Amino acid sequence: MQVHPGLFSCPSLENCMNTYLSFACCVLATFVSFSAPHAWAQMPAKAAMCIGCHGENGNASMPNTPSLAGQNARYIYMQLRDFQEGRRHNDMMSPMTAGLSKADMQELASYFSEQKLTNKRFKADPDKVKKGIAKADETLCAMCHLGEFKGQNEIPKVAGQNFDYVVKTLKDFKAKDRNNDAGNMTSVASTLSEEDIDNLAHYIASLN
Amino acid sequence: MHTYGKKISQTIACLAVGVLSAGFAQADVSQSQLSAADKDGSNFLHTNANYANTRYYPAKQIDTNNVSKLRPAFTFQTEVLESMQTAPIVVDGTMYITTSYNHVYAIDPVTGKQKWHYKHKMGPVTTYCCGPNNRGVAIMGDRVFMGTLDAKLVALDIKTGKLVWDTQIADPELGYSETMAPVAVNGRVLIGTNGGEYGIRGFVKSFDAKDGKLQWTFHTIPEKGHEGVWAVKDSTGRNMLRDIPAEKAQLAKQGGDFYKTLGGGVWMAPAVDLETNSVFFVVGNPSPDLYGAERPGDNLYTDSIVSVDLNTGKYKWHHQYIAHDVWDLDAVSPVILTEAKGKDGKMTKVAIHAGKTGHVYVHDRATGELIRFSEAMVPQDGLWTLPTKEGAKMMLGANGGVEWSPMAIHPEARLAFAANLLQPMTYHVEASKYPGGKLWLGGAFKTIPSEKQSGRLSAVNIDTGKVAWKFDTDEPLIGGVLATAGGLVFNGEANGLFRAFDAKNGKKLWEYQTGAGVNAPAVSYTIGGKQYIAVAAGGNNQIDAKRGNSVVVFTLP
Repeated sequence: MQVHPGLFSCPSLENCMNTYLSFACCVLATFVSFSAPHAWAQMPAKAAMCIGCHGENGNASMPNTPSLAGQNARYIYMQLRDFQEGRRHNDMMSPMTAGLSKADMQELASYFSEQKLTNKRFKADPDKVKKGIAKADETLCAMCHLGEFKGQNEIPKVAGQNFDYVVKTLKDFKAKDRNNDAGNMTSVASTLSEEDIDNLAHYIASLN
Repeated sequence: MHTYGKKISQTIACLAVGVLSAGFAQADVSQSQLSAADKDGSNFLHTNANYANTRYYPAKQIDTNNVSKLRPAFTFQTEVLESMQTAPIVVDGTMYITTSYNHVYAIDPVTGKQKWHYKHKMGPVTTYCCGPNNRGVAIMGDRVFMGTLDAKLVALDIKTGKLVWDTQIADPELGYSETMAPVAVNGRVLIGTNGGEYGIRGFVKSFDAKDGKLQWTFHTIPEKGHEGVWAVKDSTGRNMLRDIPAEKAQLAKQGGDFYKTLGGGVWMAPAVDLETNSVFFVVGNPSPDLYGAERPGDNLYTDSIVSVDLNTGKYKWHHQYIAHDVWDLDAVSPVILTEAKGKDGKMTKVAIHAGKTGHVYVHDRATGELIRFSEAMVPQDGLWTLPTKEGAKMMLGANGGVEWSPMAIHPEARLAFAANLLQPMTYHVEASKYPGGKLWLGGAFKTIPSEKQSGRLSAVNIDTGKVAWKFDTDEPLIGGVLATAGGLVFNGEANGLFRAFDAKNGKKLWEYQTGAGVNAPAVSYTIGGKQYIAVAAGGNNQIDAKRGNSVVVFTLP
C-alpha cells in the first residue's frame, strides 16, 4: 500500500488499520465525554474528527503523528487546503478534508493554534542536539522557520514536534514523497544524510 | 548671489528647527522641515536621514577626538523580543521607534520616558519571509505612517499614537506584506511591498496622506515587455550563462502571463529628488528565486534601479543589474542621491546603489546611465555558476554583498560606506509551480560548513570606484551605516558590538557591547546642546543573530 505523509500517518497496512481503529475509538470517546465540563467546550465540532490521532487539544500521542497544538494557524490552514486540493496526499487526511469549507479549515486552524503544546516526552541526546544545531545553522533553517524553529505564518513551528514525525517528514521531503513545498524543503532535504536528519530531529524535538 | 541666498535660507531653516526643538513642543512637521533634513543638525527626520537617503548627519559635537568617551545615556526596552531593524526618527523632542509585529513607541529622546505605545491589531492572515520585521516610520504634518505585516498602511496621530486611518495596500493571502519604512513627501506617502519569495507582482504606490486614498501605482513588472533585451551580460560585463534560445522557446510556448507572479518587491525606502520630482528605488528578485525555467526573459524590472515621476508614478528610466536572476540577488539597499564625478570627470548628480553583488554602482541621475561600478567589496568566485539540483557553489551568497542595509556617504571624504556579508553558499534548484501564497523559492541556498562566514565594512570612493578601506568582522554584517560631520562612521555587528570608525581611514575608535545583535542602522540627533547616537539592538533572523528588544542611546559625558 502506498502510504503518503500527512498530518495523519500510518507506515503499514496493519498500522493503518490500527490507526483507523484507534481513531474511531478516540472519536467515540470524544463524543461520549462531551457532556462533562471541559476545555473542549470551546472546541469546534469538526475538531472532534482530528483529536483521535492528533490528540487532546492537539497534543498527539502517536509518535508518527504531528502535534497541532500551538502550530501556526496559517500553516494548518494551508496544509488542509493542500490536502483538499490534492497538492498533498494522505489516505486519511485527503478524504477527511473533502467536505470542509474555507471557514471550517480556518476555524480548525485557529483552534489548534491556540492550544498549548504540552507533549514533551522526548529525551534528546545532547551530542546529537549539538550536531543538529550546526546542521540547522549551515542550512539556514532560521531564515524561514525563525530562531529555534518557532515558525511564522505558513512556515510551520516545528520546535517540540514529535521526533518520529520530524524524521519521517524530512525523509519524505528528501524522497519527494511530500512535495507541496514549492521546491523549498525538497531541495533543503536533498543533501541531508540519515545522520543529519537524526541530529536535526533530536535538536528540533528538544525545543520548547 | 545664488549660493549666498541659498546659505541664508539654510541658516533660517536651521534656526527654525532649533527653536522648535528647544521647546520640545510637538509641532506639525512641515514639508519645508522635511525637505531641509540634510541640513538639520537637531532632528533625524527620515529613516535614512533625508530624501536623498545619504545617512549623513550634519552635526559634529561627537568627533574623532572625543568619540572614545561615548557612554550610554539610557536604554529603552520594548515589550517585543524579536529582530529589530528600525531606524528611529527624532523630531521636536520625540523619538519614534518600531519593533517586529508593528509596535510603535514614542519616547523622550533625552530620558527614554515613554510617551505612547501603538500596537497594530494584526489581521488574520500575514505572509512574509525572513522575520516579522519593521524598519521604521515616516512623519509628516501631524501624522506618523507605518506599513504593516498584514499589508496595510496606517496613519497615527503624532501626539497620541491613536489610529487616524488605515488602508489595505495589497492582499496578504497572496504574499504581500510591509516591512519597509514609507516615505512621506508633498502630501503623499510612498510605499512598495515585500513578497519576492511568494510570487507577488511588485509595485510602488502613492497614497494621500490625508485619508489614505490610492493616488498611483507603478508596477515593477510590466504586463508587456518584461522579457527585456535578452541581456547576455550583467552590469559589470560578465556572462550570465543564460540559455537564451531555450528561454525564447519557453516564452513562445507559455506566453508572458506569468508577469502576475514574477515578484519584484520594493522593500526599502525610495529616494526622492524634489528638484526634478523624481522617485528612485531598486527592485528585488524575480519569483521563484532559484527556478528560472518558467519565467523566461530578463524579468524586468527585477534586480534593477528605477526612476519614476513623483506626481504620476510614470516610468522615467531603469537599469537592470542582473537579468533573469536565479541566485536571489535582489537590488535592495536603498538608492542614495548625491554628486560624483561623471565619465567626463566633472561633478554630476548621481544615484548610487550597493548591490548584493558587492559592487557600488554610480548612475547618472537624469538618464540612469551607469557611470561606473566599484571594485568588488567582497570576494567573488564562480560568477555566474547556475544552480543545480545537487548544489553548485557560487560566491556571492544569496544575502550579498550588501543586503537591505542602507549605505551612508561622507561628502567631504568622497566615500560611501557599505556593510557586507561574506557567506559562501551552494545554490540548489528544484522545479516548482506557483503555490498560491506559500513560500516559493524553487530550491534552496545553503552555507558551506568548511568555509568561514564573516562581514566587511567597506569604504568606496564614489568618484573612482576604488575601495579606500575595509574593516573585517567576525559576523556577517546586516543593518546599515551612519556617517556624521564629526568624521565618524557608525556600524553594528550581530555579536552585539556597536562601533565608531574614522571615516577617512577606517580606524576603529570606539566600541560598545549592547548585549544583542546590532542589525539596524544608527541615527543621531542633538537636543539641549548635546549630540546623541541611537541604535536598536534586537538581532536578526536571516543570520540568526541574538534577539533583543532595546534601543541604546549614547552621548558624551
